[in-house]
Amino acid sequence: MNIYKHELKTLLKSTIIWALSMTALALIYFSVFPGIAEDAEEFKKLLGGYSPSIRALLSISLDNITSILGFYSMIFSFITLCGAIQAMNYGMSVLSRETRERTADFLLVKPVSRSKIVSAKVLAAFTMLLFTDALYYVSAFVMANLVKTSDYSNKLFLMLNLTLLFIQLIFLAVGLLVSVFFNKLKTVLPVSLGVVFGFYILGALLVTGENVAARYFAPFKYFDYNYILKNGSFDGVYLVISALIIAAAVTASYLIYTKKDIHAVS
Amino acid sequence: MNVIEIKNLTKSYGSSRGIIDVSFNVEQGEVFGFIGPNGAGKSTTIRTLLGLIYPTSGRAAIFGKSCTEDPEVRREVGYLPSEVFYYDNMRVIDLLKYSASFYKKDCTKRIEELAGIMDLDLKKKIDDLSFGNKKKVGIVQGLLHEPKLIILDEPTSGLDPLMQQKFFELIEQENKKGASVFFSSHILSEVQRLCSRVAFIKEGRLIKLEKMSELQDNNYKKIKLEAKNDIDKDLFSLEGVGKLEIKGRIADFIYRGNINNLMKIFARTELANISITEPDLEEIFMHYYSNEKV
Repeated sequence: MNIYKHELKTLLKSTIIWALSMTALALIYFSVFPGIAEDAEEFKKLLGGYSPSIRALLSISLDNITSILGFYSMIFSFITLCGAIQAMNYGMSVLSRETRERTADFLLVKPVSRSKIVSAKVLAAFTMLLFTDALYYVSAFVMANLVKTSDYSNKLFLMLNLTLLFIQLIFLAVGLLVSVFFNKLKTVLPVSLGVVFGFYILGALLVTGENVAARYFAPFKYFDYNYILKNGSFDGVYLVISALIIAAAVTASYLIYTKKDIHAVS
Repeated sequence: MNVIEIKNLTKSYGSSRGIIDVSFNVEQGEVFGFIGPNGAGKSTTIRTLLGLIYPTSGRAAIFGKSCTEDPEVRREVGYLPSEVFYYDNMRVIDLLKYSASFYKKDCTKRIEELAGIMDLDLKKKIDDLSFGNKKKVGIVQGLLHEPKLIILDEPTSGLDPLMQQKFFELIEQENKKGASVFFSSHILSEVQRLCSRVAFIKEGRLIKLEKMSELQDNNYKKIKLEAKNDIDKDLFSLEGVGKLEIKGRIADFIYRGNINNLMKIFARTELANISITEPDLEEIFMHYYSNEKV
């Protein structure tokens, strides 16, 4: 489809930048790992000094922190933060681009329905997120194998990395919904940063308590790494919640965008 | 079937009025003019017709179908908006190809033809073009799929006179080939030149819809003459003469009526110079704008 291809081209440059950035971040963390593995006991003592709530915040489990997967759990939430910003950016910008760049009078007058336009753009954003994640996964896989001190389960490693995609999909959908509410969206990045960081911090604050219900409001905590490592599966409840959020946000976006008035540029 | 059918179309933006109860049709093959002052509702009408905005009530149809219910009907529509914006970092040819990809026909020859006529460099980046050249991209983009209905919104602003000429010839050619044209403009001389019928819109309402020929027939003639001698003030006291001004040897007035009566007076007078003109659309227009109570 022509709109899909056009959007892919538009997103390509930023996708590569994000993939490289996330890979670079992981590289920095992985490069520290050999040192930690060597002084494993010292490192564990150091972390033991932090309060349990901070350890929970950073998904640190003292049992396995010095294993490659345990270490990866600690750093992966930062990678996910980056991925979430990227996804929310894409969600917010694909539709609003036509208004921000004032090309709505070109595209929306073409013999194509608005819902087809939304579909093409969302699919393109999804494709590029998949592409980013795939590039990142391959690099992380290579790096992990380079620095590992003992063998680890590839299945678990893949599962950890899949959580990135799940959270990105949530923020893609949320970004999409936010963008269709505005008639004039000038800058996307500040809103994305604000919302994503907001949820991240919210997650950090809420989940240190015992309140289970609070977790529903913290997308970054939907997938607990220690749970995955212990059980070899995702928490089914949160998979369903994620799917519901995504479905609801995307459906609402379709409905709103198809019925909106597109005003002349000023 | 009428190419455009607008029936009781109303659009209000909250409490501000957009357009109120506008109705008119555009017939197959005609060039239809749409004139009004800023804020009268021309853009609102066009945008509702194209499906960019939704009416509060009433209906706007192209080839019998609503653009919002049947977006496919836009396949036969070419739209030239007053301000053109395109995606950053694209070359002209890439944008035109992207535009053509929506119409499921091969437009390459037509793109080259049009670019040649409008003197448009296909290899340039759109960002590097001047305003006038961007306008040309808009023109080619609107016509490359040989649409049966061409909707023009202030199409020639930014074009130099030579290009304006070429553009009009292009439109006239398309019309001869069977395309209908809906032309919204401030530049009344253009509307006068191309259109067979004209609609005036003011403050959201359609106040006049007439054939161009009737508009001019039903109107007066402007006469300015210079006689060899001072003019007698009673010379032109004839029914049908209005706004008479006599200054020495020069007389200035408007006349509506049997032209022969006037000719007899001219024949009896020693004239140095005379000019008899039709009021142009601008004057007719101003007449409606200042006098007509909506």
